[in-house]
Amino acid sequence: MNGFFDWLSRAVGNGSHQAPAASTPATPHQERRRVDLRKAINAVSDVVQNRPRPLRVFDQIHMKTGDMVLQSEIIADWADGKRLAFIGDGDAISVCVAYLRVREVLNFGPAHITVFDFDERTVEAVMKFADRERIGNLDARLYNVLDAFDVSDRYDCFYTNPPWGASNNGESVNVFVQRGMEATDHSGEGVVVIADDDELDWPKQVLASVQRFASSQGFYVSRMQRKLHEYHLDDAPDLKSCNLYLTALPGNPPREGSGAITDPRRLENFYGLSQEPRVRYVRARRRLDYGVAHEDEYKLEFLESGHE
Amino acid sequence: MNEIVKPGAGVLFMKIGTHAQEELADIIARKKEEISKTGYGMWGYGGNTCHPASMVQPFARKFAQIGQPIHLCMETMNSSHIAAPMCAAEYSVDGVQWEEIPHTIEVRGSKYALVIDQLREEQLKLPLDQTRVPVGPSTGRLGSRYVKGRVDKACLSVLDAPELTNEGDPREIDIDLVATLREPYAVFLRGER
Repeated sequence: MNGFFDWLSRAVGNGSHQAPAASTPATPHQERRRVDLRKAINAVSDVVQNRPRPLRVFDQIHMKTGDMVLQSEIIADWADGKRLAFIGDGDAISVCVAYLRVREVLNFGPAHITVFDFDERTVEAVMKFADRERIGNLDARLYNVLDAFDVSDRYDCFYTNPPWGASNNGESVNVFVQRGMEATDHSGEGVVVIADDDELDWPKQVLASVQRFASSQGFYVSRMQRKLHEYHLDDAPDLKSCNLYLTALPGNPPREGSGAITDPRRLENFYGLSQEPRVRYVRARRRLDYGVAHEDEYKLEFLESGHE
Repeated sequence: MNEIVKPGAGVLFMKIGTHAQEELADIIARKKEEISKTGYGMWGYGGNTCHPASMVQPFARKFAQIGQPIHLCMETMNSSHIAAPMCAAEYSVDGVQWEEIPHTIEVRGSKYALVIDQLREEQLKLPLDQTRVPVGPSTGRLGSRYVKGRVDKACLSVLDAPELTNEGDPREIDIDLVATLREPYAVFLRGER
């Protein structure tokens, strides 16, 4: 990274900018040009415009746009030349990462990105955007994280910003992380975006729980960028999240297949207190006014000379 | 401390004023009538700080399990709320199953409502330094650090003693209006009638 983004990432990353030990660029190193900030913000603005509105009941809470710009560059850099799986992506960081490359704002980024999400609106938004902008290396699939993961497709790394597990000691985070690890056959790397707060107890408990789970699966914490992102979150406006980087230990053996998650202890309070998962998919309603103001938002009042 | 705000109690705090272009005094009179005719009333609100399914219902159920009521403690303020006074047609406990709102109840300009009874004017103090957020992503945050800026309502549990800090004067809120929540505590609203 160069210039503004490099400085910014160092500033917010508490200087923890070194690459994780296991990270090896899949493509030969090329000089990374300066980022045109206006182009970057406008590109992310295109993505935000295309993104479905969040459903709070499923803990869909959108990252603020400035942080999305920064996060997209960080993830493009980290996953440069690799196959990257997004385990859920209401924020649309996946689309930003791919689009910044297509728009030549960045001259680096993942070789391929697949988004797995249980919200059909998100899946369709990704696919429509990829089609419209001719982004050939971006696709999306409808998938509920509680179902077995199709491990026939291998990825080098995964990214997840899951429900943060305030009411289940991070178990919901661990479920998403598990799927990410399965996507890499337990031999890759992942970025987990979770709450990070000095005052509250639960984010610390969740971070500890995720680190324990990662360790049990043969992964270690290779880097952490603290208090990096803010959200459109009315009930916790000061709460930030971190990037927690997990990397598989050398020689970490693959696990047997992938199974559905049915253990009630893992499902309790999944989306918050008393919020067990009941929905397999959020289905999109078909509409012709996609991407523009919906007809039920307004009505027209005509000039006297106008025609109805 | 008082009979409502006491250690171990659960309180839903809310700032109130003009809502959907209707003066507070008119709202209170209308809600009292709703309660007398229907047996309960619906107190409309918006925002995400007290989401019905992920915040208010689990918070209230937790206290109901130990036989404690949740009191809605309201602080009056001067405000102008310009939302259209649309009257909701249906309510839902879970956002999936919807039912008609009784014709004796009118909830205007709101996407959520608290289900209340025993609405009454009552003056009491709510020491925010002696409360903590017990649910949601701000779980554990001291009430006085949580209720600020755009956060004008909160589920709170009352602590045994105030947290001692050097952050400034203790924040005691003057409560002017009190109600009791009743099952299902909070609901989603939709439609227009």
